[in-house]
Amino acid sequence: MSLHLMLKSLKRRKVVTGLLLLQLAMTLALLLNAVMLASQTHASLNEPTGLDMENILQVQLKPTTPELRKYPALSDLLERQLAGVRAVPGVVAVAYSNQGPLLQGGNNGNVFKVGAQERTNLASVPMYFVSADFFRVLGLTVQNGELPVSPTPLDGKVQSPVVLTQQLAEHLFAGENPVGQAVNRGPVAAVVSNFYGQRSAEHVFNNSVQVAPMYGVDWGYSLLLRVEAGSADTVRQQLDQVLRNVDTNIEIFYVRSLAEQHHRLYRTEFGLAVLLTILAGLMLLVTMISSYSNAHFHALKSQQDIGIKRALGASRQAIFVELLAEGWLCTLLGTGAGVFVALLLNKLLATVIVIPAIPLWLPLLAISVLILCVTLATWYPARIATRVSPATATKTL
Amino acid sequence: MEQFLYYLKVSVKSIRRAPLPYVLTVLIMALGLGVFFANATFYYRLNADPLPHKSDKLFFPMMLLVPWECNDNTCKPPPVLSYANVQKLSNTDIPTAKAAMYSSDAYLRLDTKQPPLPVSVRITQRDFFRMFDVPVLHGSIWPDDSARNEIILTKALAEKLFGQSDVVGKTLLLDDKPLTVSGVLDNWQMLPRLYDANSGNHVEPVEQIYLPLETGYDMNYMSNSQSSTFDDTDYRQLSSQGRTGALHQLQYWVQLDTPAQQQAYRDFMQNLASTEKAAGRHPSIINNQLTSMRNIVAYFGGESGDIKAFALVTLLFLLVCLLNASHLSLNRYLSNQYEFSLRRALGASRWQLQQQMFADVLLLTLCCLAGALLIGFGGVQLMNYLWPVNRLFSTWDWQLLLGLLLLALSASYLVTLYPSLRASFGALNQQLKE
Repeated sequence: MSLHLMLKSLKRRKVVTGLLLLQLAMTLALLLNAVMLASQTHASLNEPTGLDMENILQVQLKPTTPELRKYPALSDLLERQLAGVRAVPGVVAVAYSNQGPLLQGGNNGNVFKVGAQERTNLASVPMYFVSADFFRVLGLTVQNGELPVSPTPLDGKVQSPVVLTQQLAEHLFAGENPVGQAVNRGPVAAVVSNFYGQRSAEHVFNNSVQVAPMYGVDWGYSLLLRVEAGSADTVRQQLDQVLRNVDTNIEIFYVRSLAEQHHRLYRTEFGLAVLLTILAGLMLLVTMISSYSNAHFHALKSQQDIGIKRALGASRQAIFVELLAEGWLCTLLGTGAGVFVALLLNKLLATVIVIPAIPLWLPLLAISVLILCVTLATWYPARIATRVSPATATKTL
Repeated sequence: MEQFLYYLKVSVKSIRRAPLPYVLTVLIMALGLGVFFANATFYYRLNADPLPHKSDKLFFPMMLLVPWECNDNTCKPPPVLSYANVQKLSNTDIPTAKAAMYSSDAYLRLDTKQPPLPVSVRITQRDFFRMFDVPVLHGSIWPDDSARNEIILTKALAEKLFGQSDVVGKTLLLDDKPLTVSGVLDNWQMLPRLYDANSGNHVEPVEQIYLPLETGYDMNYMSNSQSSTFDDTDYRQLSSQGRTGALHQLQYWVQLDTPAQQQAYRDFMQNLASTEKAAGRHPSIINNQLTSMRNIVAYFGGESGDIKAFALVTLLFLLVCLLNASHLSLNRYLSNQYEFSLRRALGASRWQLQQQMFADVLLLTLCCLAGALLIGFGGVQLMNYLWPVNRLFSTWDWQLLLGLLLLALSASYLVTLYPSLRASFGALNQQLKE
């Protein structure tokens, strides 16, 4: 088995070989970029959120009559809804909030340390107006200060105290103790552990929370529930009826666990990753068909050569390995070029979507997968070729 | 015709002699075409021009007319306008038509005994219907832009509420405020909905009801898609503070039919910015934008990167499938080379052999087309499941289907061309010997 002879054999079939090499190059390019996108989506879906994803439920709803959307009727409705949901077996705590966590965008505003606006201003920080149990529902731990226990109106004479997440506090106060100092939204009462707010914010852990009556509910609001482990499904089934028993004049948009909400947040990327993975699988299938057809046709065409080799003493094993080796050589040549095509495709994709650069080890892994596929595809035609007896193969000579 | 039927018969016979390579060729081509076609459906529809005769005449003006100072060249004007800024921008006769608008949610019912029905509302001005070619079925559009307790419904909503489409003059309750139906729109779907490209809303269906802008402000309807407050304006006081403060939530479109009109409006915006700056109401640098409807989605960054990325990848996949099919086809023709050579030796001309090839192409096209349609349909359903936001853009029309037919024909021809040429143009002696 000589490399020179194998190259010569491939050169003799240059059109067919060229087509196969092109295919292999493109397959590798697609495979690598599909893996990159799938791994990025997987990483996003497994990123830390600071939240107990399975045991927190979110109900998004809105009163359907103008009266119920205004205070004091709204205040009464919220109290009745909180009491109703709290009484459901399995519910540990419940709170209202003008918006839930894990969103693309939502209600946000600028936040800066008073007296240092130029240096600390953040243009888009999610603003949460919540009831006191919000922190308990989300399982946030107090890092510093004390949490407000009763709501303070946002438009009252006294400013409503602000609770910052650790990430936001560090940005605004960089090493200082934030408690007792002021941001433009009010005095800082406490700092709590980080949680995932909005994807479009400067940092997903930047959040500002105020225990206050919601300003208005024209865009709807959230009821957030912490449930006992394992009882999320049971509680979820009862929520619609419980809330309608409290008041029928509501529209419930959805009831979701935070895990579902998180998945929806990356739905687009997840979709693209699924599609690319399916496509990469199809590419592998197409490559296998191509390799099979190439090996089969080549073995048929080379029957005489094989017969002569066998007559001259070549073992079946040697013929078998030689045919496989031709497939491996083709794969190595094609995928070698494919690495460059993959880098080019990665650059092109990066102009329209966020996709990480290809690490050095990945092409090696992908080439191994392709070699395995090509070996599987050429195995049968190669095995058939070795069964040809020297007498039959050379009878037309 | 008889001869052509003979060629078809020969093609079928050739396929039956070695069906596996042919089936694999068809499968691979159908896969490539089907996957490409599924994505092309969304790409084509999302990038379609819903008003080709006037989309270059409709413009969205934006100015950096805000109460904060920004002298950085990267500062862009807010993508939505305040009521006060719209008043300033509409204070000219240059545009042929002009309309401010925003979308909101509301609850509708015929009387207080009925449960409220959630509806989508476009709060706008009278020129909206003329600018975007909205068809009116019954009644008429408001005579001016003043506040009025009148509402315009879509035909589907009218039929759902009243069981008939002609409901002009009837009364219903919008968030418990009585309003009279002044018009009913005929079936209408602007895809993509380019008049509302903020926040990627152009992929949504058109609204169910239409309310005058002034009435919408009087009823304190806030935008349900994008709004920003740049001062102390209380958004709960939309009817009063919302009309004077820096509460930005309006989209504003002007129709400028000629280049002269467009230049005049640009000059008008420049003069307005200078006047406001001189009066101290424009502390930032002047950055006026007059974006045409054709470019509005790109301007707001709403183009679907995922569809584009997948388009690139499916194009590559199609290419790979074509290469693969060529490869299979070449092997198939080379296997049949002896037959070709024999026919040549018996006197068949190369033209007759090429006619045989056309019959092969036609057969291959039909098989691939059927497979591609099946795979394309499956692909569209899968994409609808994975990206439900684009669901409205998943329908096929005759133009798309004709495109697929031409693509399948060209692909089949390309795949068959080289192998058939090689089989029919080689040295006859050598071919017969092999």
